[in-house]
Amino acid sequence: MAAPFTLRKIGVPPNSANLTEARRRVFDFFRAACRSLPTVMDIYNLQDVVAPSQLRFAISAQIRNNAHVTDPKVIDLLLFKGMEELTDIVDHAKQRHHIIGQYVVGEGLVQNTGSKDRGKSDFLKNFYTSNYF
Amino acid sequence: MASLSTSSLSFKAPSVQSTRTSQVLRKPLSFQPISFGRFQSSKNLRLQISCAAKPETVQKVSDIVREQLALSADTALTAESKFSALGADSLDTVEIVMALEEKFNISVEEADAQNITTIQEAADLIEDLAQKKPAA
Repeated sequence: MAAPFTLRKIGVPPNSANLTEARRRVFDFFRAACRSLPTVMDIYNLQDVVAPSQLRFAISAQIRNNAHVTDPKVIDLLLFKGMEELTDIVDHAKQRHHIIGQYVVGEGLVQNTGSKDRGKSDFLKNFYTSNYF
Repeated sequence: MASLSTSSLSFKAPSVQSTRTSQVLRKPLSFQPISFGRFQSSKNLRLQISCAAKPETVQKVSDIVREQLALSADTALTAESKFSALGADSLDTVEIVMALEEKFNISVEEADAQNITTIQEAADLIEDLAQKKPAA
């Protein structure tokens, strides 16, 4: 059995200098999250509900949702929020129905479904803001 | 008969191989195809000593890759296919490495993970780590 992985809580690191470092941090975060998955499955008793591969897919889907961001500071902030979420989950600060609702079934929290401004459709943007345009 | 053919191949490599192939071409007897098959596998085994990855490991890696990238059943997956050629971006590659970590119960360092680009390399790394683990 590989040595059990523990999530070390480091203070806020300085901003990444460029996109390459931000990219490296994203992969480190993803690896930390995947390595914490056995602990998460154990804490919330998810063995019969979901497989670790599905949870990995859910995490990567959320990362991919923001894949179009190019500003390293925005990426750092997204990673900070992601790390905060991961720490909460590993600390058992959430409950089973939170995990199942947000990561296993459906799209999760309503506030997370909208992606950052992608500039896809002007019509939709106007539609979301008001009735008259 | 088949065992005799393999032992002779291991001692006298070049000359016996040529005579063996010429014999196969001239006289397709019932036992010849079996010896020809053994001849090919022993030759491949000798060439693959440097690679040192078992075929079942490669097969398991291929299964994980196929499932991760959602490839259809008929896309050919050889040991040398690159992940990028199969439509995987960098996040997919990291995810595949994580899936392999979970499946084979190993821990891949970041430096090693950067170098994995094909299925064969992944299988070799797994074999290396699996051998080092019992020693630690």
